Amino acid sequence: MSDDNPIGRSSALGELLDADRVPALSGGFADRVVGATSTRAAPLPELRRSKAGAGRRQNLRRFGMAAIAAGALASAAAATGLLDDLPIALPSPGKVWDTLTGQTPEPLATQGANQPSIRAPASASIEPDGEETVAIEGPIDTPEELDEAFRRVDNVRDERKTTRRGNVDRRIEETLERRREQGLPAPTPEGEARLRNRLEQMRERRDQQSVQRIKERRAELRKKIEEGGELTRDELIAAERAAGQSPEVQDRLQRLRELPPEERRARLRQWRENRQQRREERRQGLQQSPAQETEPPEPEPAELEAPLDAPEDPQTLDEPSPPPK
Amino acid sequence: MTIGSGDSQNDPAGDDALVARIAERDEAAFRLVIGQHAERLHRIAYRMVGGAHEAEDIAQEAMLRLWDNAARLAARTDAAPVRLGAWLKRVVINLAIDRQRVAGRQSGGEVPERADETPLADEQMEQEESAGRARALIAGLPDRQRAAIVLTYFEELPNAEAAEVLDMNIKAFESLLHRARGALRRAFVALEEHPEEHPQEYGEERHE
Repeated sequence: MSDDNPIGRSSALGELLDADRVPALSGGFADRVVGATSTRAAPLPELRRSKAGAGRRQNLRRFGMAAIAAGALASAAAATGLLDDLPIALPSPGKVWDTLTGQTPEPLATQGANQPSIRAPASASIEPDGEETVAIEGPIDTPEELDEAFRRVDNVRDERKTTRRGNVDRRIEETLERRREQGLPAPTPEGEARLRNRLEQMRERRDQQSVQRIKERRAELRKKIEEGGELTRDELIAAERAAGQSPEVQDRLQRLRELPPEERRARLRQWRENRQQRREERRQGLQQSPAQETEPPEPEPAELEAPLDAPEDPQTLDEPSPPPK
Repeated sequence: MTIGSGDSQNDPAGDDALVARIAERDEAAFRLVIGQHAERLHRIAYRMVGGAHEAEDIAQEAMLRLWDNAARLAARTDAAPVRLGAWLKRVVINLAIDRQRVAGRQSGGEVPERADETPLADEQMEQEESAGRARALIAGLPDRQRAAIVLTYFEELPNAEAAEVLDMNIKAFESLLHRARGALRRAFVALEEHPEEHPQEYGEERHE
Protein backbone atom coordinates (compact mmCIF):
# COMPACT_ATOMS: atom_id res chain seq x y z
CA MET A 1 0.00 0.00 0.00
CA SER A 2 1.27 3.46 -0.81
CA ASP A 3 2.45 5.54 2.13
CA ASP A 4 0.33 8.42 0.82
CA ASN A 5 -2.81 6.51 1.81
CA PRO A 6 -4.01 6.82 5.37
CA ILE A 7 -3.79 3.80 7.62
CA GLY A 8 -7.18 2.06 7.45
CA ARG A 9 -8.97 1.36 10.69
CA SER A 10 -9.91 -2.06 9.45
CA SER A 11 -6.42 -2.97 8.27
CA ALA A 12 -4.27 -5.28 10.34
CA LEU A 13 -2.05 -2.38 11.30
CA GLY A 14 -5.06 -0.25 12.22
CA GLU A 15 -6.51 -3.01 14.38
CA LEU A 16 -3.23 -3.42 16.19
CA LEU A 17 -2.90 0.32 16.80
CA ASP A 18 -6.46 0.53 18.08
CA ALA A 19 -5.76 -2.29 20.48
CA ASP A 20 -3.93 0.14 22.72
CA ARG A 21 -6.66 2.08 24.47
CA VAL A 22 -5.92 5.20 26.39
CA PRO A 23 -6.82 4.98 30.07
CA ALA A 24 -9.22 7.59 31.34
CA LEU A 25 -7.93 10.73 32.94
CA SER A 26 -7.95 10.30 36.69
CA GLY A 27 -10.63 12.03 38.72
CA GLY A 28 -9.94 15.42 40.21
CA PHE A 29 -7.57 16.37 37.42
CA ALA A 30 -8.98 19.90 37.07
CA ASP A 31 -8.79 20.45 40.81
CA ARG A 32 -5.18 19.36 40.89
CA VAL A 33 -4.30 21.68 38.02
CA VAL A 34 -6.07 24.64 39.58
CA GLY A 35 -4.46 23.84 42.91
CA ALA A 36 -1.04 23.77 41.29
CA THR A 37 -1.47 27.30 39.99
CA SER A 38 -1.20 28.70 43.54
CA THR A 39 2.32 27.33 43.95
CA ARG A 40 3.37 28.18 40.44
CA ALA A 41 6.31 30.57 40.13
CA ALA A 42 5.74 33.69 38.09
CA PRO A 43 6.80 33.29 34.44
CA LEU A 44 10.02 34.85 33.30
CA PRO A 45 9.78 38.17 31.46
CA GLU A 46 9.82 38.04 27.70
CA LEU A 47 13.18 38.23 26.01
CA ARG A 48 13.98 41.67 24.67
CA ARG A 49 15.30 40.33 21.40
CA SER A 50 11.91 38.88 20.48
CA LYS A 51 10.87 42.29 19.19
CA ALA A 52 10.47 42.21 15.45
CA GLY A 53 13.51 43.57 13.64
CA ALA A 54 15.54 44.12 16.78
CA GLY A 55 18.00 41.38 15.88
CA ARG A 56 18.62 42.82 12.43
CA ARG A 57 19.15 46.30 13.80
CA GLN A 58 21.53 44.94 16.37
CA ASN A 59 23.49 43.08 13.69
CA LEU A 60 23.69 46.23 11.58
CA ARG A 61 24.94 48.18 14.57
CA ARG A 62 27.55 45.53 15.31
CA PHE A 63 28.66 45.55 11.69
CA GLY A 64 28.94 49.32 11.71
CA MET A 65 30.96 49.30 14.91
CA ALA A 66 33.26 46.63 13.49
CA ALA A 67 33.80 48.68 10.33
CA ILE A 68 34.58 51.79 12.36
CA ALA A 69 36.96 49.86 14.61
CA ALA A 70 38.73 48.34 11.61
CA GLY A 71 39.09 51.76 10.01
CA ALA A 72 40.45 53.23 13.23
CA LEU A 73 42.98 50.41 13.57
CA ALA A 74 44.10 50.79 9.98
CA SER A 75 44.50 54.55 10.42
CA ALA A 76 46.43 54.04 13.62
CA ALA A 77 48.70 51.47 11.95
CA ALA A 78 49.39 53.83 9.08
CA ALA A 79 49.96 56.78 11.42
CA THR A 80 52.43 54.92 13.61
CA GLY A 81 54.41 53.66 10.66
CA LEU A 82 53.58 50.05 11.35
CA LEU A 83 53.01 49.47 7.67
CA ASP A 84 56.61 50.38 6.99
CA ASP A 85 57.66 47.18 8.76
CA LEU A 86 55.56 45.03 6.48
CA PRO A 87 56.52 43.99 2.97
CA ILE A 88 53.83 46.20 1.50
CA ALA A 89 54.71 49.05 -0.78
CA LEU A 90 52.13 51.76 -0.35
CA PRO A 91 52.29 54.33 -3.12
CA SER A 92 51.89 57.94 -2.23
CA PRO A 93 48.66 59.66 -3.33
CA GLY A 94 50.62 61.54 -5.96
CA LYS A 95 51.93 58.33 -7.47
CA VAL A 96 48.48 56.81 -7.49
CA TRP A 97 47.12 59.86 -9.25
CA ASP A 98 49.96 59.80 -11.77
CA THR A 99 49.32 56.14 -12.45
CA LEU A 100 45.65 56.81 -13.04
CA THR A 101 46.21 59.77 -15.29
CA GLY A 102 49.14 58.15 -17.13
CA GLN A 103 51.41 61.09 -16.54
CA THR A 104 54.14 59.00 -14.95
CA PRO A 105 53.34 55.39 -15.68
CA GLU A 106 55.66 53.99 -13.06
CA PRO A 107 54.62 50.57 -11.76
CA LEU A 108 54.07 49.88 -8.11
CA ALA A 109 56.48 47.60 -6.33
CA THR A 110 53.78 45.12 -5.42
CA GLN A 111 52.16 44.97 -8.81
CA GLY A 112 50.36 41.68 -9.39
CA ALA A 113 51.89 38.85 -11.33
CA ASN A 114 48.97 37.97 -13.47
CA GLN A 115 49.14 40.77 -15.94
CA PRO A 116 49.35 39.50 -19.47
CA SER A 117 52.21 41.60 -20.66
CA ILE A 118 54.51 44.48 -19.91
CA ARG A 119 52.76 47.77 -20.27
CA ALA A 120 54.69 50.84 -21.15
CA PRO A 121 54.10 54.24 -22.64
CA ALA A 122 52.45 54.01 -26.01
CA SER A 123 55.43 55.61 -27.68
CA ALA A 124 59.10 55.98 -27.09
CA SER A 125 59.98 58.39 -24.30
CA ILE A 126 63.05 60.01 -22.85
CA GLU A 127 64.39 58.86 -19.51
CA PRO A 128 65.70 61.48 -17.07
CA ASP A 129 69.28 60.56 -18.01
CA GLY A 130 68.52 61.31 -21.63
CA GLU A 131 68.38 57.70 -22.75
CA GLU A 132 65.58 56.94 -25.16
CA THR A 133 63.29 54.10 -24.07
CA VAL A 134 61.37 51.71 -26.24
CA ALA A 135 57.68 51.15 -25.71
CA ILE A 136 56.64 47.55 -25.13
CA GLU A 137 53.21 46.82 -26.52
CA GLY A 138 51.74 43.45 -25.63
CA PRO A 139 54.08 40.45 -25.56
CA ILE A 140 57.74 41.04 -26.26
CA ASP A 141 58.36 40.09 -29.89
CA THR A 142 61.18 42.34 -31.13
CA PRO A 143 64.84 42.52 -30.09
CA GLU A 144 64.36 46.18 -29.19
CA GLU A 145 61.55 45.38 -26.83
CA LEU A 146 63.60 42.56 -25.33
CA ASP A 147 66.57 44.84 -24.74
CA GLU A 148 64.30 47.37 -23.15
CA ALA A 149 62.86 44.69 -20.86
CA PHE A 150 66.38 43.57 -19.93
CA ARG A 151 67.31 47.16 -19.18
CA ARG A 152 64.37 47.57 -16.86
CA VAL A 153 65.12 44.29 -15.12
CA ASP A 154 68.74 45.34 -14.66
CA ASN A 155 67.62 48.62 -13.14
CA VAL A 156 65.51 46.84 -10.58
CA ARG A 157 68.20 44.26 -9.94
CA ASP A 158 70.88 46.89 -9.36
CA GLU A 159 68.63 48.80 -7.02
CA ARG A 160 67.84 45.72 -5.00
CA LYS A 161 71.44 44.61 -4.92
CA THR A 162 72.45 47.95 -3.53
CA THR A 163 69.73 47.84 -0.93
CA ARG A 164 70.59 44.32 0.10
CA ARG A 165 74.29 45.04 0.42
CA GLY A 166 73.52 48.14 2.41
CA ASN A 167 71.49 46.04 4.83
CA VAL A 168 74.32 43.56 5.31
CA ASP A 169 76.86 46.32 5.83
CA ARG A 170 74.59 48.00 8.34
CA ARG A 171 74.24 44.80 10.33
CA ILE A 172 77.97 44.33 10.39
CA GLU A 173 78.40 47.84 11.69
CA GLU A 174 75.75 47.34 14.33
CA THR A 175 77.31 44.10 15.52
CA LEU A 176 80.74 45.63 15.79
CA GLU A 177 79.40 48.67 17.61
CA ARG A 178 77.51 46.49 20.05
CA ARG A 179 80.59 44.46 20.80
CA ARG A 180 82.66 47.59 21.37
CA GLU A 181 79.99 49.03 23.66
CA GLN A 182 79.94 45.81 25.68
CA GLY A 183 83.68 45.77 25.96
CA LEU A 184 83.97 42.60 23.93
CA PRO A 185 86.88 42.02 21.62
CA ALA A 186 86.26 43.45 18.17
CA PRO A 187 88.41 43.13 15.13
CA THR A 188 91.08 45.66 14.65
CA PRO A 189 90.74 48.02 11.71
CA GLU A 190 93.10 45.80 9.78
CA GLY A 191 91.12 42.68 10.70
CA GLU A 192 87.87 44.37 9.78
CA ALA A 193 89.29 45.43 6.42
CA ARG A 194 90.44 41.87 5.83
CA LEU A 195 86.98 40.51 6.63
CA ARG A 196 85.27 43.05 4.43
CA ASN A 197 87.63 42.21 1.66
CA ARG A 198 86.72 38.52 1.98
CA LEU A 199 83.08 39.39 1.94
CA GLU A 200 83.51 41.53 -1.14
CA GLN A 201 85.31 38.70 -2.88
CA MET A 202 82.45 36.37 -2.08
CA ARG A 203 80.03 38.87 -3.52
CA GLU A 204 82.01 39.34 -6.68
CA ARG A 205 82.35 35.60 -7.18
CA ARG A 206 78.63 35.15 -6.76
CA ASP A 207 77.85 38.07 -9.05
CA GLN A 208 80.10 36.70 -11.74
CA GLN A 209 78.36 33.35 -11.58
CA SER A 210 75.01 35.05 -11.70
CA VAL A 211 75.98 37.34 -14.57
CA GLN A 212 77.23 34.39 -16.56
CA ARG A 213 74.00 32.48 -16.04
CA ILE A 214 71.96 35.58 -16.93
CA LYS A 215 74.01 36.12 -20.07
CA GLU A 216 73.44 32.55 -21.22
CA ARG A 217 69.77 32.68 -20.48
CA ARG A 218 69.33 36.02 -22.22
CA ALA A 219 71.06 34.66 -25.27
CA GLU A 220 68.47 31.90 -25.39
CA LEU A 221 65.64 34.41 -25.06
CA ARG A 222 67.10 36.66 -27.73
CA LYS A 223 67.40 33.70 -30.06
CA LYS A 224 63.78 32.84 -29.43
CA ILE A 225 62.68 36.38 -30.33
CA GLU A 226 64.83 36.44 -33.43
CA GLU A 227 63.22 33.23 -34.57
CA GLY A 228 59.80 34.86 -34.44
CA GLY A 229 58.78 33.83 -30.97
CA GLU A 230 57.39 36.07 -28.30
CA LEU A 231 57.62 36.38 -24.55
CA THR A 232 55.05 37.36 -22.03
CA ARG A 233 55.92 39.33 -18.96
CA ASP A 234 55.61 36.28 -16.73
CA GLU A 235 57.88 34.20 -18.97
CA LEU A 236 60.51 36.89 -18.93
CA ILE A 237 60.36 37.29 -15.18
CA ALA A 238 60.59 33.54 -14.66
CA ALA A 239 63.57 33.27 -16.98
CA GLU A 240 65.38 36.15 -15.31
CA ARG A 241 64.70 34.78 -11.90
CA ALA A 242 65.93 31.34 -12.88
CA ALA A 243 69.08 32.80 -14.42
CA GLY A 244 69.90 34.75 -11.30
CA GLN A 245 69.74 31.74 -9.03
CA SER A 246 71.96 28.77 -8.55
CA PRO A 247 70.31 25.43 -9.45
CA GLU A 248 70.11 24.49 -5.77
CA VAL A 249 68.32 27.70 -4.87
CA GLN A 250 66.02 27.33 -7.85
CA ASP A 251 65.15 23.84 -6.77
CA ARG A 252 64.55 24.93 -3.18
CA LEU A 253 62.39 27.86 -4.14
CA GLN A 254 60.45 25.79 -6.64
CA ARG A 255 59.70 23.20 -3.99
CA LEU A 256 58.70 25.98 -1.64
CA ARG A 257 56.31 27.44 -4.20
CA GLU A 258 54.70 24.08 -4.83
CA LEU A 259 53.83 23.58 -1.18
CA PRO A 260 50.28 24.26 0.00
CA PRO A 261 49.96 27.83 1.33
CA GLU A 262 49.61 26.73 4.95
CA GLU A 263 52.67 24.54 4.83
CA ARG A 264 54.64 27.20 2.98
CA ARG A 265 53.78 29.75 5.65
CA ALA A 266 54.73 27.26 8.35
CA ARG A 267 58.10 26.63 6.68
CA LEU A 268 58.81 30.33 6.40
CA ARG A 269 57.81 30.85 10.01
CA GLN A 270 60.13 28.03 11.02
CA TRP A 271 62.92 29.49 8.93
CA ARG A 272 62.55 32.88 10.62
CA GLU A 273 62.50 31.28 14.05
CA ASN A 274 65.63 29.29 13.25
CA ARG A 275 67.32 32.41 11.95
CA GLN A 276 66.43 34.28 15.10
CA GLN A 277 67.65 31.39 17.21
CA ARG A 278 70.95 31.26 15.29
CA ARG A 279 71.42 34.97 15.85
CA GLU A 280 70.74 34.59 19.55
CA GLU A 281 73.12 31.66 19.83
CA ARG A 282 75.76 33.52 17.93
CA ARG A 283 75.34 36.53 20.14
CA GLN A 284 75.56 34.45 23.31
CA GLY A 285 78.51 32.51 21.94
CA LEU A 286 80.36 35.71 21.22
CA GLN A 287 79.69 36.97 24.72
CA GLN A 288 80.89 33.73 26.30
CA SER A 289 84.08 33.42 24.24
CA PRO A 290 85.47 36.92 23.96
CA ALA A 291 88.95 35.64 23.13
CA GLN A 292 87.86 34.38 19.75
CA GLU A 293 88.23 36.62 16.81
CA THR A 294 85.02 38.14 15.69
CA GLU A 295 83.61 36.92 12.42
CA PRO A 296 81.31 39.20 10.46
CA PRO A 297 77.65 38.38 10.99
CA GLU A 298 76.37 35.71 8.70
CA PRO A 299 74.20 37.25 6.04
CA GLU A 300 70.68 35.98 5.83
CA PRO A 301 70.17 32.98 3.54
CA ALA A 302 67.95 35.11 1.42
CA GLU A 303 70.69 37.67 1.06
CA LEU A 304 73.39 35.16 0.29
CA GLU A 305 71.47 32.90 -1.99
CA ALA A 306 68.58 34.82 -3.32
CA PRO A 307 68.86 36.08 -6.87
CA LEU A 308 69.36 39.70 -7.56
CA ASP A 309 65.76 40.12 -8.48
CA ALA A 310 64.44 38.08 -5.59
CA PRO A 311 62.13 39.90 -3.26
CA GLU A 312 63.45 41.12 0.05
CA ASP A 313 61.08 39.04 2.08
CA PRO A 314 60.63 35.30 1.59
CA GLN A 315 56.88 35.78 1.91
CA THR A 316 56.84 37.39 -1.51
CA LEU A 317 58.80 34.65 -3.22
CA ASP A 318 55.82 33.69 -5.28
CA GLU A 319 55.18 37.22 -6.41
CA PRO A 320 57.45 37.95 -9.34
CA SER A 321 58.59 41.52 -9.42
CA PRO A 322 57.76 43.43 -12.57
CA PRO A 323 60.44 45.18 -14.50
CA PRO A 324 60.31 48.94 -14.46
CA LYS A 325 58.65 50.75 -17.26
CA MET B 1 -16.50 18.69 37.33
CA THR B 2 -17.13 16.85 34.12
CA ILE B 3 -14.27 16.62 31.74
CA GLY B 4 -15.42 16.86 28.20
CA SER B 5 -13.70 16.02 24.98
CA GLY B 6 -14.77 19.01 22.98
CA ASP B 7 -12.44 21.34 21.22
CA SER B 8 -13.02 25.03 21.03
CA GLN B 9 -10.30 25.70 18.47
CA ASN B 10 -12.88 26.44 15.82
CA ASP B 11 -14.07 29.36 17.88
CA PRO B 12 -11.16 31.80 17.99
CA ALA B 13 -13.33 34.55 19.40
CA GLY B 14 -14.29 32.29 22.27
CA ASP B 15 -10.67 31.32 22.75
CA ASP B 16 -9.64 34.96 22.86
CA ALA B 17 -12.20 35.68 25.53
CA LEU B 18 -11.17 32.66 27.57
CA VAL B 19 -7.50 33.55 27.37
CA ALA B 20 -8.26 37.11 28.40
CA ARG B 21 -10.19 35.89 31.40
CA ILE B 22 -7.44 33.46 32.37
CA ALA B 23 -4.97 36.30 32.07
CA GLU B 24 -7.06 38.08 34.67
CA ARG B 25 -6.79 34.94 36.80
CA ASP B 26 -10.41 33.86 36.30
CA GLU B 27 -10.45 30.36 37.74
CA ALA B 28 -13.79 29.49 36.21
CA ALA B 29 -12.47 30.21 32.72
CA PHE B 30 -9.43 28.11 33.45
CA ARG B 31 -11.58 25.21 34.57
CA LEU B 32 -13.65 25.59 31.45
CA VAL B 33 -10.58 25.29 29.25
CA ILE B 34 -9.40 22.27 31.22
CA GLY B 35 -12.78 20.67 30.67
CA GLN B 36 -12.65 21.35 26.96
CA HIS B 37 -9.11 20.20 26.26
CA ALA B 38 -7.67 18.07 29.02
CA GLU B 39 -8.90 14.70 27.83
CA ARG B 40 -7.60 15.13 24.31
CA LEU B 41 -4.30 16.47 25.57
CA HIS B 42 -3.99 13.48 27.85
CA ARG B 43 -4.67 11.12 24.95
CA ILE B 44 -2.04 12.78 22.78
CA ALA B 45 0.49 12.72 25.59
CA TYR B 46 -0.24 9.06 26.28
CA ARG B 47 0.26 8.10 22.64
CA MET B 48 3.48 10.04 22.58
CA VAL B 49 5.06 8.69 25.78
CA GLY B 50 3.21 5.43 26.31
CA GLY B 51 2.54 5.92 30.02
CA ALA B 52 -0.69 7.02 31.70
CA HIS B 53 0.85 8.76 34.68
CA GLU B 54 3.44 10.60 32.66
CA ALA B 55 0.78 11.57 30.16
CA GLU B 56 -1.26 13.08 32.95
CA ASP B 57 1.75 15.03 34.14
CA ILE B 58 2.27 16.38 30.65
CA ALA B 59 -1.36 17.39 30.28
CA GLN B 60 -1.23 19.14 33.62
CA GLU B 61 1.97 20.94 32.74
CA ALA B 62 0.45 22.10 29.45
CA MET B 63 -2.49 23.60 31.31
CA LEU B 64 -0.19 25.32 33.74
CA ARG B 65 1.80 26.72 30.83
CA LEU B 66 -1.43 28.26 29.63
CA TRP B 67 -1.95 29.75 33.07
CA ASP B 68 1.58 31.17 33.01
CA ASN B 69 1.41 32.55 29.49
CA ALA B 70 -2.18 33.73 29.36
CA ALA B 71 -1.25 37.39 29.63
CA ARG B 72 1.25 37.11 26.81
CA LEU B 73 -1.23 35.22 24.64
CA ALA B 74 -3.93 37.74 25.37
CA ALA B 75 -1.63 40.57 24.32
CA ARG B 76 -1.12 38.87 20.97
CA THR B 77 -4.79 38.48 20.18
CA ASP B 78 -4.81 41.92 18.56
CA ALA B 79 -2.48 40.67 15.85
CA ALA B 80 -4.02 37.23 15.37
CA PRO B 81 -6.71 35.32 17.20
CA VAL B 82 -5.50 32.63 19.57
CA ARG B 83 -6.18 29.06 18.51
CA LEU B 84 -6.11 27.58 21.96
CA GLY B 85 -6.55 23.96 20.91
CA ALA B 86 -3.61 24.05 18.50
CA TRP B 87 -1.47 25.95 21.02
CA LEU B 88 -2.14 23.44 23.79
CA LYS B 89 -1.52 20.44 21.53
CA ARG B 90 1.78 21.96 20.43
CA VAL B 91 2.80 22.40 24.04
CA VAL B 92 1.90 18.80 24.82
CA ILE B 93 3.80 17.45 21.82
CA ASN B 94 6.87 19.49 22.73
CA LEU B 95 6.72 18.48 26.37
CA ALA B 96 6.34 14.83 25.40
CA ILE B 97 9.30 14.97 23.03
CA ASP B 98 11.41 16.73 25.65
CA ARG B 99 10.57 14.14 28.27
CA GLN B 100 11.29 11.31 25.88
CA ARG B 101 14.66 12.78 25.12
CA VAL B 102 15.50 13.21 28.77
CA ALA B 103 14.29 9.68 29.50
CA GLY B 104 16.31 8.39 26.56
CA ARG B 105 19.45 10.08 27.86
CA GLN B 106 18.88 8.77 31.37
CA SER B 107 17.85 5.19 30.59
CA GLY B 108 19.49 4.66 27.23
CA GLY B 109 16.35 3.72 25.37
CA GLU B 110 12.63 3.97 24.97
CA VAL B 111 10.81 1.92 27.52
CA PRO B 112 7.08 1.55 27.16
CA GLU B 113 5.17 1.48 30.38
CA ARG B 114 5.75 -1.73 32.22
CA ALA B 115 2.98 -4.25 31.79
CA ASP B 116 1.06 -5.40 34.82
CA GLU B 117 2.62 -8.69 35.91
CA THR B 118 -0.28 -10.00 37.93
CA PRO B 119 -1.93 -13.14 36.54
CA LEU B 120 -4.62 -12.28 34.03
CA ALA B 121 -7.21 -14.11 32.08
CA ASP B 122 -6.06 -15.22 28.63
CA GLU B 123 -8.20 -12.69 26.83
CA GLN B 124 -6.90 -9.87 28.91
CA MET B 125 -3.35 -11.08 28.46
CA GLU B 126 -3.84 -11.14 24.73
CA GLN B 127 -5.31 -7.66 24.83
CA GLU B 128 -2.37 -6.42 26.84
CA GLU B 129 0.04 -8.07 24.48
CA SER B 130 -1.53 -6.36 21.47
CA ALA B 131 -1.53 -3.03 23.26
CA GLY B 132 2.11 -3.47 24.14
CA ARG B 133 2.96 -4.25 20.53
CA ALA B 134 1.04 -1.19 19.37
CA ARG B 135 2.87 1.02 21.87
CA ALA B 136 6.15 -0.49 20.80
CA LEU B 137 5.36 0.25 17.17
CA ILE B 138 4.56 3.87 17.90
CA ALA B 139 7.46 4.25 20.29
CA GLY B 140 9.80 3.02 17.59
CA LEU B 141 9.03 6.02 15.38
CA PRO B 142 11.14 9.16 15.45
CA ASP B 143 9.61 11.92 17.59
CA ARG B 144 7.96 14.07 14.95
CA GLN B 145 6.83 11.10 12.88
CA ARG B 146 5.19 9.73 16.01
CA ALA B 147 3.50 13.07 16.57
CA ALA B 148 2.24 13.10 12.99
CA ILE B 149 0.69 9.63 13.37
CA VAL B 150 -0.80 10.48 16.76
CA LEU B 151 -2.44 13.64 15.47
CA THR B 152 -3.75 12.32 12.17
CA TYR B 153 -4.54 8.68 12.91
CA PHE B 154 -5.47 8.63 16.56
CA GLU B 155 -6.85 12.17 16.89
CA GLU B 156 -8.08 12.30 13.30
CA LEU B 157 -6.98 15.87 12.80
CA PRO B 158 -6.91 17.21 9.23
CA ASN B 159 -3.41 17.56 7.83
CA ALA B 160 -3.56 21.35 7.89
CA GLU B 161 -4.49 21.39 11.55
CA ALA B 162 -1.83 18.84 12.46
CA ALA B 163 0.71 20.89 10.52
CA GLU B 164 -0.29 23.95 12.54
CA VAL B 165 0.17 22.02 15.78
CA LEU B 166 3.65 20.96 14.72
CA ASP B 167 4.40 24.47 13.46
CA MET B 168 5.13 23.23 9.95
CA ASN B 169 3.90 24.18 6.52
CA ILE B 170 1.49 21.75 4.97
CA LYS B 171 3.92 20.38 2.36
CA ALA B 172 6.56 19.63 4.94
CA PHE B 173 3.98 17.99 7.15
CA GLU B 174 2.67 15.81 4.33
CA SER B 175 6.20 14.70 3.61
CA LEU B 176 6.68 13.92 7.29
CA LEU B 177 3.43 12.01 7.41
CA HIS B 178 4.38 10.05 4.30
CA ARG B 179 7.62 8.99 5.93
CA ALA B 180 5.86 8.22 9.19
CA ARG B 181 3.33 5.93 7.53
CA GLY B 182 6.08 4.18 5.60
CA ALA B 183 8.15 3.65 8.72
CA LEU B 184 5.12 2.42 10.66
CA ARG B 185 4.15 -0.04 7.94
CA ARG B 186 7.68 -1.39 7.66
CA ALA B 187 7.83 -1.73 11.42
CA PHE B 188 4.54 -3.57 11.42
CA VAL B 189 5.71 -6.01 8.73
CA ALA B 190 8.92 -6.60 10.66
CA LEU B 191 6.95 -7.15 13.84
CA GLU B 192 4.68 -9.67 12.12
CA GLU B 193 7.62 -11.55 10.69
CA HIS B 194 9.71 -11.46 13.86
CA PRO B 195 7.33 -10.91 16.75
CA GLU B 196 10.00 -11.78 19.27
CA GLU B 197 12.05 -8.73 18.32
CA HIS B 198 11.20 -5.41 19.82
CA PRO B 199 10.94 -2.71 17.18
CA GLN B 200 13.04 0.33 17.98
CA GLU B 201 14.56 2.00 14.97
CA TYR B 202 13.47 1.82 11.38
CA GLY B 203 16.09 3.47 9.28
CA GLU B 204 15.78 7.06 10.40
CA GLU B 205 17.09 9.03 13.27
CA ARG B 206 15.11 8.91 16.44
CA HIS B 207 14.81 12.67 16.84
CA GLU B 208 13.87 14.38 13.61
